[in-house]
Amino acid sequence: MNYKKLLLVLALCCCWLPAVAQAVSGPTEQLKPTLDTLIAILLDPSLKGEKQKEARRTKIMGYVTQKFDFREMSQRVIGREWKDLSKEKQDRFQVLFTKLLENAYLGKIETYSGEEIQFTGERIKDNRAIVSTQIENNGQWLPVDYIMIKKAEQWMVYDINIEGMSLVRNYMEQFKSILRRDKFDGLVKLLEEKNSTFE
Amino acid sequence: MMISKKIVLFFLFLAFLLGPVWVVQADEAEGTVALPRDDRNKDLDTFFDPEDITDPFEPMNRVFFQVNDKLYFWILKPVSTAYRTVVPVDFRQCFGNFFDNVAAPVRVVNNLLQGKFAGAGIDLSRFLINSTAGVLGFGDPALISFGLEPRPEDFGQTLGVWGLGEGPYLCLPIIGPLTFRDSAGFAGDALLHPGTYVFGNPVDRAAYYSADRVNMLSLHPDLYEDMKRYSLDPYISMRQFYLDYRRNKLLDRPVRSNVMINEL
Repeated sequence: MNYKKLLLVLALCCCWLPAVAQAVSGPTEQLKPTLDTLIAILLDPSLKGEKQKEARRTKIMGYVTQKFDFREMSQRVIGREWKDLSKEKQDRFQVLFTKLLENAYLGKIETYSGEEIQFTGERIKDNRAIVSTQIENNGQWLPVDYIMIKKAEQWMVYDINIEGMSLVRNYMEQFKSILRRDKFDGLVKLLEEKNSTFE
Repeated sequence: MMISKKIVLFFLFLAFLLGPVWVVQADEAEGTVALPRDDRNKDLDTFFDPEDITDPFEPMNRVFFQVNDKLYFWILKPVSTAYRTVVPVDFRQCFGNFFDNVAAPVRVVNNLLQGKFAGAGIDLSRFLINSTAGVLGFGDPALISFGLEPRPEDFGQTLGVWGLGEGPYLCLPIIGPLTFRDSAGFAGDALLHPGTYVFGNPVDRAAYYSADRVNMLSLHPDLYEDMKRYSLDPYISMRQFYLDYRRNKLLDRPVRSNVMINEL
């Protein structure tokens, strides 16, 4: 009798397991600690200031590359031609594009000083998801959406939409026009030039 | 007694089993509510189906983009920077409120034309409150004390709601990025703007328009230069930002008034 009860309880627990597992590893639940960690690095007094810039950025990028899928982004901004590129060219592009995003956006988020961030919703479709947030900005709420893809139970960010304007799509359109004109090698050259302007 | 206990246990058991299902379903239901109209999966699929961008005038547009770029660095920016150093930010915000308040008829009428009666009511109330309690619109008590957020609608959006297509992309000197539909909207909104009637003479009208833009730029000084700095092809980047912004507005997604696009 006791065994039966125990078995029943165990069986019931099993019914719940998938739900619990899903709830724990949802995109919002995975994004929250990511943002918390980033904020902690940004607010860390020992990493503040121009002198600590190198150390701070290394730390941020070391963390960000685990949570943001730069391979996926690179593939998407290049589009159809990606498959025709050799592995070396793909890797080279990924390094340059990651560097561009680092140059462009770390400078922006480094001005963060504790503004409130709210999570306003999430939508999941198959292995992709949108997590909507808003961040306080001069008394207004700025909507920021994170577009994520699930790879091996990990939700990875592959695009950020600020006020509905997609970052990756914006670069994709620019690269499309450059690829048509200057081909892949021309694009790589332009990226190298652009990155050198930030140094 | 036994029976009722069993029934209770049965329901508890059912609830236990179905609990997770309900949770999932509730999530889905919530999700659909938040989805904008027919656009259901579009933003998740953005990169799989390329959106149409019609830009047959690209060579001409690129020339005008360069012209505007020069105008920005030679005129708009120096004037705005000087103005910014002289006038404190609180005053500039008040002037911004004033310009917004004067344009209220544009928003009210376009809300009505799109059948958004609640929006029209809100913007009309905002106009009445801010023109009186807000001292001619320099303050925004409608938002601060009554929590009434503006519902900006313009004639370009109205034409979109009525089913008119976007048309080719344009970049015009001084005015900046537009689509064909938005250029018709621009003309329509000018007819609704009180400034058109108050200032009989085109020079005064242009002065009013310029003051509005210099003030707006002074409140958001870095946007255009950041965009240029981070992009490999600023013309395309601007075009994409503009089209994204207008398409989102048409779908009534939450966007703030986008200053980069309005000011350039």
